[in-house]
Amino acid sequence: MVGLSLGEKHFIQGGIAQDIRSDGRKRLTYRPINVETGVIPQANGSARIRMGATDVISTVKAELGKPISLQPDKGKVSIYVDCSPTAAPMFEGRGGEELSTELSVALQRSLLGGKSGAGAGIDLSSLVVVEGKICWDLYIDCLVVCSDGNLLDALGAAIKAALSNTGIPRVQVAAGASGDEQPEVDISDEEFLQFDTSDIPVIVTLTKVGRHYIVDATTEEESQMSSAISISVNRKGHICGLNKRGGAGLDPSIVLDMISVAKHVSEQLMNKLDSEIAAAEAGEDES
Amino acid sequence: MEFVSPEGLRLDGRRPMEMRQIRAEIGAVAKADGSAVFEMGNTKVIAAVYGPREVQNRSQQINDQALVRCDYSMANFSTGDRMRKPKGDRRSTEISLVIRQTMEACILTHLMPRSQIDIFVQVLQADGGTRSACINAATLALADAGIPMRDLVTSCSSGYLNSTPLLDLNYVEDSAGGPDVTVGFLPKLDKVTLLQMDSKLPIDIFEKVMQLAIEGCKAIANYIREIMLENTKQLEYRRGI
Repeated sequence: MVGLSLGEKHFIQGGIAQDIRSDGRKRLTYRPINVETGVIPQANGSARIRMGATDVISTVKAELGKPISLQPDKGKVSIYVDCSPTAAPMFEGRGGEELSTELSVALQRSLLGGKSGAGAGIDLSSLVVVEGKICWDLYIDCLVVCSDGNLLDALGAAIKAALSNTGIPRVQVAAGASGDEQPEVDISDEEFLQFDTSDIPVIVTLTKVGRHYIVDATTEEESQMSSAISISVNRKGHICGLNKRGGAGLDPSIVLDMISVAKHVSEQLMNKLDSEIAAAEAGEDES
Repeated sequence: MEFVSPEGLRLDGRRPMEMRQIRAEIGAVAKADGSAVFEMGNTKVIAAVYGPREVQNRSQQINDQALVRCDYSMANFSTGDRMRKPKGDRRSTEISLVIRQTMEACILTHLMPRSQIDIFVQVLQADGGTRSACINAATLALADAGIPMRDLVTSCSSGYLNSTPLLDLNYVEDSAGGPDVTVGFLPKLDKVTLLQMDSKLPIDIFEKVMQLAIEGCKAIANYIREIMLENTKQLEYRRGI
């Protein structure tokens, strides 16, 4: 996939070992992040995130649905990722399906918590309109427009930005519906509720190349990785999800070390992302 | 339903012969050889071009000209209602084919034998006229990739509702059931390369409607030329010439 000569491979590995990467970054430095919100007006919320050449769009659509009977007090959220063939010719047709599924599952694991939804970054109980009868279904659709490594972190950031951009219409429930009847609802066109996105975790992927690990790897660097761990950390510093990729085995002590580094990096990323999102929202309001 | 008010205004406030606002940007996908975004009102598409490069599937290689391939895909969030579409449905296969044939007609394929050019178009928002927007985006992306072309092919649609020819239909007008004429046009050579219509029209009116679409194509061609000139100036400036 990535055509690198032996010299180039050595250059990338050597650079990482000496803490100065091919683009001049240190091992734990992110590329500049560019956030744009409200890019898809047809959706309830949307955002486009660019990290270097990686470019992803995330949208949130809300539809009224029925909560599942096991969890009558919770709404539903589903995340789908689609890899556009514009990102790489190999994603044409069904070529991107495997990567899309891998990313979707990893995002669901990182952001939505387990089956019970107890550990979710998004407060699912805030999506309920009438308990057991009506709730909001959030469909989060992501599109990879251009891929230059570190897709998972970018997608996680894009979802966070899209959710802070999301307005859910206020719903008036007609009183008087009793028993098993589905109550009538009136969806407001003017009043929107904002989400509390402060609890939504950010995802930090540490890619291990040689004996060291780096954040925000480019495609070239990812091609040299032995393994990678994606850790989602929320503002409180709690780990919300973990995902290991790559074949090589890791020593448990290294895993723990990587987690503590990821926790440290996530604070910086979270702050940077929050300020970028705030700037993008302010820019959108002005225009 | 009334699509043109007595004052001569359409549903979105345009005049019958008015196009939606168009916006184009070159170089939207960093990793592609050429790329562009093209917007017509609320319709927004991204096109990326990879190539000319080695043919991936040897059996498709053509010895005296380049192989042109095209893939059209719609994002899940592109339409008003969210859709979970199967990849490669008939509609997108047909549009892929239409775009491929249109672009193949203007690329100088004989200059690049035994090579392959991939055109990928991705619809971000659909509000009528995606076909036209895709062709315009693909033209810009091909030009950005530096692929030799006979001319800049542009496309525009027009229709006929309430006994008025309308330029550049949006989704509501498109789904009204009236005729929808999509024209692909080579402005310098003054030739039509793509012509599609559904529904029925008397010949004399068809002539008018088609002429309207051609005028639209010419206007888009002028705009595309401006964007490309601007882009080239930027490149020139960055190189310090």
